[in-house]
Amino acid sequence: MEYIVETKHLTKSFGKEKAVSNLEMKIPKGEIYGFLGPNGAGKTTTIRMLLGLMRPTSGSVQLFGKDMKNNRIEILKNVGSLVENPSYYPHLTAKENLEASRKILNVPKKRIDEVLQQVRLHGVANKKVKGYSLGMKQRLGIAAAMLHQPELLILDEPTNGLDPSGIIEMRQLIQSLPKEYGMTVLISSHLLSEIDQMATRVGVVSKGKMIFQDSIETMRKFAQASIQVKVNDNEAAWRSLLANGQKADLGEESVTLQAEDDEQVAASIRYLVQQGFSIYRVQEEKRSLENIFLEMTKEEQAG
Amino acid sequence: MFSVINSEWYKLRKSKVLFLLLIAPLIGLFIGIANSSIEIEGINAWHGKLVMMNFTYAILFLPLISGVLASVICRYEHQEGGWKQLLALPVTRGKVFLSKYLLLILLMLVMQLMYLVSIYLVGMIEGITDPFPMDIVWKSIFGGWVATLPLIALQLWVSIAFKSFAAPFAINVIFTLPTILVINSERFGPYYPWGQPFLMMNIGGSTEDVFFVPWDQILMVVGGSFLLFFIGGYLYFLKKAI
Ligand SMILES: Nc1ncnc2c1ncn2[C@@H]1O[C@H](COP(=O)(O)OP(=O)(O)OP(=O)(O)O)[C@@H](O)[C@H]1O
Ligand SMILES: [Mg+2]
Repeated sequence: MEYIVETKHLTKSFGKEKAVSNLEMKIPKGEIYGFLGPNGAGKTTTIRMLLGLMRPTSGSVQLFGKDMKNNRIEILKNVGSLVENPSYYPHLTAKENLEASRKILNVPKKRIDEVLQQVRLHGVANKKVKGYSLGMKQRLGIAAAMLHQPELLILDEPTNGLDPSGIIEMRQLIQSLPKEYGMTVLISSHLLSEIDQMATRVGVVSKGKMIFQDSIETMRKFAQASIQVKVNDNEAAWRSLLANGQKADLGEESVTLQAEDDEQVAASIRYLVQQGFSIYRVQEEKRSLENIFLEMTKEEQAG
Repeated sequence: MFSVINSEWYKLRKSKVLFLLLIAPLIGLFIGIANSSIEIEGINAWHGKLVMMNFTYAILFLPLISGVLASVICRYEHQEGGWKQLLALPVTRGKVFLSKYLLLILLMLVMQLMYLVSIYLVGMIEGITDPFPMDIVWKSIFGGWVATLPLIALQLWVSIAFKSFAAPFAINVIFTLPTILVINSERFGPYYPWGQPFLMMNIGGSTEDVFFVPWDQILMVVGGSFLLFFIGGYLYFLKKAI
């Protein structure tokens, strides 16, 4: 498979502490990759290395199949980024800020108005940025990242400081990018709910280690509701379900049915009754994605 | 390369600090007018003026203004994450460093030329009738500029390293103030980089050479400190984690 971003054994140490440890990130073309992790997990440090702002202690970064070490300029021509807090020149207006980058990127002047329109800053384009609100600065940062229509857009916590309608606008904008321009997007966040609705792929990082990396569907499967049945003899019930070819897990105080639909649940319960088990309780337990994410990162922290 | 300089110039131009370039030539002008020079028979009247004007200008203002400009050209990158935005663009760090340096030395050349205008104005106002000593003045103007090149390299280095505006300024002042004492020393004067602008601009030196200072001193002190400061700053910037 062709990966737009691929890191191998990527590691960054600050003193003894490993901020990023053996990270293997893989992002296929056209995906919106949600890079998730709690505070201090190493997301920003990873992104800094992806952009060549910081040298890895060991391991390598490849973007578009080229090694960052030897092809930095060529690679960065096709990458737009927003790292951590928005960066800007306070003494310049939004337009002038973009103009300063445009001179280096060598793109037509009309792109400035286009991106300002896209992030809805065109009304305040001639105001000095130091007077902007945090959300407006964030939008300017996103505009700057898109100025040269990059093939890869790297956004570090872009919804930081945006109001709810701003978040929705941003989500729509980001979702449209792969479809309209074939862009690949890497977007980091510490909230799963924020990127849940737009990401097609997720990487979860905790303490510098990648602990999950797959499609969002795979992650959602973890989130499906499970049915727990409390029976007089849980272990015997579990065995008899398995013997009958029905999937189940044995918990400490109950049997969990891995049923995919209501009919299967009904069939399992009916079978247990027929076998003469006394059923005390049948309850549904829903796990939200956020819970799964929390559990994932918690386990890692405990271990 | 040109596009990077162009972008740097754009950011600097909009920061409205270019009036700083006027300060030193204006002060030179006032000093020139305020002090009437003693006229000595047989010596070009311009010389007296030059000696007087050059003293404050070359010892104090030339290195101080260049230091402030170096800080300004880095300040807006330090302020709100400008470095990471700039360096995530397709430019090499080397080009960024070189662009900032070139822009600084160009601005200082402009300041030297404005100072030249000041000198001329003083003469006009005072009604000096002696012929304008063009060759001597050029030596002084151009020599002073060459002597500032290493200082600017160091000032750029320090300005990149420190986020605060005050630290590079303090360092600059610490090295600039002793100049007045050091240049009077036969032994140390010729080797002190901050003293070179004055020595190069001082018209008392030998007139046979291209500059007022012997070549070996220019090469060794100005050239040597330039290489040291420029390469040091350049390598520091290449390695700096952003
Ligand atoms: N320049 C640095 N020097 C020393 N330690 C650093 C440096 N930068 C980051 N770290 C450490 O590396 C770890 C990861 O930090 P990083 O900023 O990458 O986390 P993050 O996932 O982006 O967190 P957040 O969600 O808060 O933005 C932290 O423990 C941090 O203290
Ligand atoms: Mg971060």
